[in-house]
Amino acid sequence: MAEAHQQIYLEDKLKEVRESGRLEYRSKALPTWCPGCGYFAMAGGVPAALNSLGIAPQDTVVVSGIGCSSRFPFFVNTYGFHTLHGRVLPVATGIKVANDALTVIAVGGDGDGFAIGGGHVPHAARRNIDITYLLFDNGIYGLTKGQTSPTSAIGFRTPTSPYTNPDQPLNPLLMVLAYGATWVGQAFAGHPQQLEELIRQAIAHRGFSYLHILSPCVTFDKTDKTYDRLEQRVRSLPANHDPQDFAAAMRQAMDVETPPMGLLYVNERPTLADALDGIVVKAGGAEKRARKVAKAA
Amino acid sequence: MAAVGKHHVIIGGGISGSQAADTLRTLDPDSRITLITLSRLPVYNRYDLPQVFRGRQDWRDFLVQPPEYYRRSRISLRRATRVANVDATRRIITLAHNEELRYDTLLVASGGRGYLPEELAEFLPLLDSFTSFEDAVTVRRRLPEGGHVIMIGGDMIGLDLARTMVETGHRVTLVAGPQTFWPHRLEAGERKQFLAVLAKMGMQVVESEAHGNIETIEPGAKGMPARRIVFGDNTDLRADSIMAFCGLVPSVEFMLGSGVDIERGLLVSRSLRTTNEAIYAAGDVCQIWDQDEKRYRFYYGWKNVRAMGELAARNIVGGDEPWSSNQDESLRVQENGSLYSPFWEYA
Amino acid sequence: MTRPAKETPSTDIQVAICGSAGEGTIAAGDILRSALAEAGYRIISFDTYPPEIRGFGKCIARLRVTTEQAYSLKQQSDVLIALNDEHAIPHIGEVRDFGAVIYDGHSIAKLPEGGHVSGHLRAGQLPYPVSLRELCEKATGGNRSRNIVALGFLAGVYQLPKDAFLRIITKKFGKKPGVAEQNQAAFETGYTVGEAAFRLDDVVFGAPKRDAATRDVVMINGNAATVRGAVDAGIDCFFGYPITPATSIMERLASEMPKHGKRLLQTEDEISAIAATIGAGYTGARAATATSGPGLSLMQEMLGLGVIAEVPSVVFVSQRGGPSTGMPTKTEQSDLSAAVHGGHGDAQKIVIAPTNVEGCYRCGGKAFEMAEAYQTPVVVLLDLYLSNRYETVQFGARPPFEANCSKPRAKAAPGEPYRRFALTEDFVSPRALPGEPGAMHTITGLEHNELGRPNDQGDMHERMSKKRHEKLKAALKHPDFTHCKRFGDEGRIKVGMLAWGSTFGECLEAMFKARAEGIPCAAMKVVMLSPFPVEPVSAFMDDCDVVLVPEVNYEGQFARLIQGELGRPVVSLARVPGVPLPVDEILETIRRLAASGPRDAARLVRAA
Ligand SMILES: Cc1cc2nc3c(=O)[nH]c(=O)nc-3n(C[C@H](O)[C@H](O)[C@H](O)COP(=O)(O)OP(=O)(O)OC[C@H]3O[C@@H](n4cnc5c(N)ncnc54)[C@H](O)[C@@H]3O)c2cc1C
Ligand SMILES: Cc1ncc(C[n+]2csc(CCOP(=O)(O)OP(=O)(O)O)c2C)c(N)n1
Ligand code: SF4
Ligand SMILES: [Mg+2]
Repeated sequence: MAEAHQQIYLEDKLKEVRESGRLEYRSKALPTWCPGCGYFAMAGGVPAALNSLGIAPQDTVVVSGIGCSSRFPFFVNTYGFHTLHGRVLPVATGIKVANDALTVIAVGGDGDGFAIGGGHVPHAARRNIDITYLLFDNGIYGLTKGQTSPTSAIGFRTPTSPYTNPDQPLNPLLMVLAYGATWVGQAFAGHPQQLEELIRQAIAHRGFSYLHILSPCVTFDKTDKTYDRLEQRVRSLPANHDPQDFAAAMRQAMDVETPPMGLLYVNERPTLADALDGIVVKAGGAEKRARKVAKAA
Repeated sequence: MAAVGKHHVIIGGGISGSQAADTLRTLDPDSRITLITLSRLPVYNRYDLPQVFRGRQDWRDFLVQPPEYYRRSRISLRRATRVANVDATRRIITLAHNEELRYDTLLVASGGRGYLPEELAEFLPLLDSFTSFEDAVTVRRRLPEGGHVIMIGGDMIGLDLARTMVETGHRVTLVAGPQTFWPHRLEAGERKQFLAVLAKMGMQVVESEAHGNIETIEPGAKGMPARRIVFGDNTDLRADSIMAFCGLVPSVEFMLGSGVDIERGLLVSRSLRTTNEAIYAAGDVCQIWDQDEKRYRFYYGWKNVRAMGELAARNIVGGDEPWSSNQDESLRVQENGSLYSPFWEYA
Repeated sequence: MTRPAKETPSTDIQVAICGSAGEGTIAAGDILRSALAEAGYRIISFDTYPPEIRGFGKCIARLRVTTEQAYSLKQQSDVLIALNDEHAIPHIGEVRDFGAVIYDGHSIAKLPEGGHVSGHLRAGQLPYPVSLRELCEKATGGNRSRNIVALGFLAGVYQLPKDAFLRIITKKFGKKPGVAEQNQAAFETGYTVGEAAFRLDDVVFGAPKRDAATRDVVMINGNAATVRGAVDAGIDCFFGYPITPATSIMERLASEMPKHGKRLLQTEDEISAIAATIGAGYTGARAATATSGPGLSLMQEMLGLGVIAEVPSVVFVSQRGGPSTGMPTKTEQSDLSAAVHGGHGDAQKIVIAPTNVEGCYRCGGKAFEMAEAYQTPVVVLLDLYLSNRYETVQFGARPPFEANCSKPRAKAAPGEPYRRFALTEDFVSPRALPGEPGAMHTITGLEHNELGRPNDQGDMHERMSKKRHEKLKAALKHPDFTHCKRFGDEGRIKVGMLAWGSTFGECLEAMFKARAEGIPCAAMKVVMLSPFPVEPVSAFMDDCDVVLVPEVNYEGQFARLIQGELGRPVVSLARVPGVPLPVDEILETIRRLAASGPRDAARLVRAA
């Protein structure tokens, strides 16, 4: 299968780049990311997760905003929509509302999701639309070459904060929990196996899944969210953490010093599609809907 | 509001009120003038109303002034508006729809309305009135070709209508009584002679008293004319319409709380001023002091009434001319054998 | 009227109902137009709302009732029903001489001088005081149905078909127990009093025309017609964010679409609305959103994505007074430039604007065909006047829309990659939709090659820009669609009008009057505004001594568009009164132009 071939290909390249650190890789047709960028972890993680879930590539749409991370759709052999800066969630919403049968994966950076697109996150979460949102948090605007982002630490120095960043960073995990996301996890690009496993779970979850991925920008952040420093700080969730316990999830999310890795919270409730179907039933249009869906399939 | 002159309010859009408004506009160009009338139409001549029997049925043909006149003359014409009360102390008029108007000077020219003898009051719903354009057209429409009308009383207004109806091919029965020929008071002999003249003019004349007076009025039975009148002697008459013309009573009820002196009409000095210095009266509503007779008396007829309106306006803006009338108030038989009154000289 | 009617007149009566928002003014207008439409009259009706939701703001319902087709409201009303003194007083002037003013003959509140309607009638207007409150209380025990008493009175005075009113009242209030009965009683009371009232005005309602042609006529406003068009064209998804005057499109779809098994979502803002629309369009769904000027501004970046990524979407834009929050409850045509030229980059899209309610239906459906056929956003420009204007429209038995307008795709040779943006003869590239095996691809807002891969090398941008613009030319020949149309005199004319959107109705009325005065005159409506129908418009201009362009915006946006497209002079009549352009003002301009000739006409060009 062509797509299987590509998966292996990416995996190989990933390994190759990791090992060799060859700089010319960036100009090739494949991932344009800087060698060593945390994003390579998703290039492997997403296809693997889809593969293991048995989801056919033609039934998958990877949607992204604008940013380094948002380049991802070009590097997988599924359907893809590289949209606008900050608008990944509403476009993904439209796709999923129009076609339930598609597996929709939204990808974006911290600026994309929590600066320009911050207004959309609460609504995707509260509606519990059945998509997976992979947010790559490098605490920086990678694509535009290293400016301050809403998750940059206080004191972080960038070209737009030459006197260092004075602003309190956001805590996206706390936010999405409060917004009503039904699946909330955190991963580290430096731990690709766990990342892949969490991506798999996130996709498998029926409802809005939010996976926060700590992902170093090796080019523009040499001081804060580096592989080394993150490696030292990240920890596993306590063995007795109950992901059904919302309060416990909030407590874990509050820990930004030693960020917990794994599934913080999961909960089942009706999805947006359930709600929309319910409306159709109330309006007496269920039969017509069934015919339409059958025709599309 | 920009500084304007006084607010002259005139209650009554009849001949005297409208004449007063016109004169006031000329004499006091900067004033505000409000002319209030119960009518839904701009001022028209009521003495023309019998003309509906001669084919004039569009109200526009009756107007004294075209509609544009009021804007041009800056006269605020308040139609379909009834005055409920006049507070002479605060100089405030309350309109029946619950609006208040302040005036500087007030002219009451509210005229009079048909008098209905008490014994007929209960039959009011069965009587057609003829006091407005709407009434006139309604009666005209109700009457079949050559229809029969009974006129009770027959004052000078009524007789004018009656002769027009006869002339236009209708049957008119006059049920004569004390108010026939009102406001003229005739000697018995003269009265009889004049009734005979009316009969000659084509009316059927029935003396009410001779038949034991009117006993009852009722709707006509099915297939019969619309009205039936029964006398004390059990004789009856049937007609398509019954109207009563028994003279006028001045319309003064809204003035009762104003404090001005009222006998039957508003009592005014020879300069047409009431007992309140800001309030004047003119037309059918007022009784004017007659120096010779030492009493307050009415002056009827459109010529008098119009002259009163004009005089009141002149005195309102500072004049002090006395009223005098040289109108001929006679009633006589013409050479051609028909009845003549200068009252009917309008055509 | 007291003058006998000479012949059975063709009806042309305009009734205005003026009151406050909470007094049932609009409801009364609604019942009146529905009942008269049912009785067989033709209707054009437009309500003006206050900015407040409820409370004491003024609102006016106006309806023109005719037996022949009319194209706009009249400047003067024949009858005014005043439900509220304060609000109605400024509008009494719009009643013509010998027309009627119906009002409550008594106020419970003490009014200062000038506070009652009766004090403001011109001497030529006829007063009809009615004890609305008292009659209502007697008939219903309350005063909420004063509006219906007034309607009953109107119907009684003019002997309008009572049954139609009672049916509509039942239909409107039937759901709440007792309410329909109350309102019927209120209507009957008013009717009886009206019947007995002495008529002094010269307002005459001729008999409605009842024939086969008028039987299936529906009373509908521009937004509702748009919705009907969208539904008949098979709209699958709608995403929207409320904004006056577009909201009712969404509200109506919200109740209609689920009945057809379709989905609607209220999004968090307009950016999200258009984003989701484009997302849905990407999957092959017929998707739309609706907004007004402020929302259109927010959507511009995303519309650019729709253009470059070649995703079908439909955006209904009902314009209102702008810029910014502007005049949310006043009509205007000032988003033409934003629709045609708005957004960054060379991002031409299709822009169409219906000129009447029936046109709203056609554009409401055709927009989906075009979006699909030419793979691009389609903006349908309405405005507050057209959105809220009711007209009697006759719909065909079968919707005149194609269910599938996608360019068919030939089977790809095995192993050949799918070229989403293949350069073809007509520049339209056949689409593969998510779910289809073997044609996976990614679309992007980055400039790209035929495969869709980001590519800004060489002349790629040149070629792709050309593709995106050239493919739209076919829209100028889109089947079964009136792109533009000439009315009035044939051949050489003195004054020709070019008009778009709702203003065309006023232009037609003005044109008819001008022709009646002997001025050779014609008017062309331009429905497709982008791409611009250069050829037919140019041919029309060849016939005109002077071309007048009336529109409701300050800048003369349409005049500028024409000048930009054709480089020929036009006379701009651009005004922003917040209401439709007065027919008389257009007529007056036509007269002046006809008298002065083309040379002087140039001087009238404002700011252009
Ligand atoms: C049918 C008819 C035929 C007549 N024929 C003749 C004739 O042939 N010759 C002749 O000389 N005279 C005739 N008259 C009488 C003559 O018209 C009167 O003398 C004259 O109309 C009196 O005028 P006026 O201005 O005093 O009052 P009117 O004409 O009676 O006018 C009174 C005005 O006051 C208004 N008004 C009354 N009460 C109120 C209120 N409460 N609030 C507000 N407005 C009020 C009325 O609406 C009206 O506008 C006729 C009258 C009638 C009705
Ligand atoms: C409307 C708009 N504003 C600004 C930009 C420029 N821009 C592109 S990506 C980006 C920030 C990217 O940061 P992030 O979302 O964190 O992604 P990363 O590159 O770090 O993965 C910015 C500001 C844009 N493309 N569009
Ligand atoms: S700039 Fe930073 S985030 Fe962007 S690809 Fe390079 S390393 Fe990754
Ligand atoms: Mg980032």
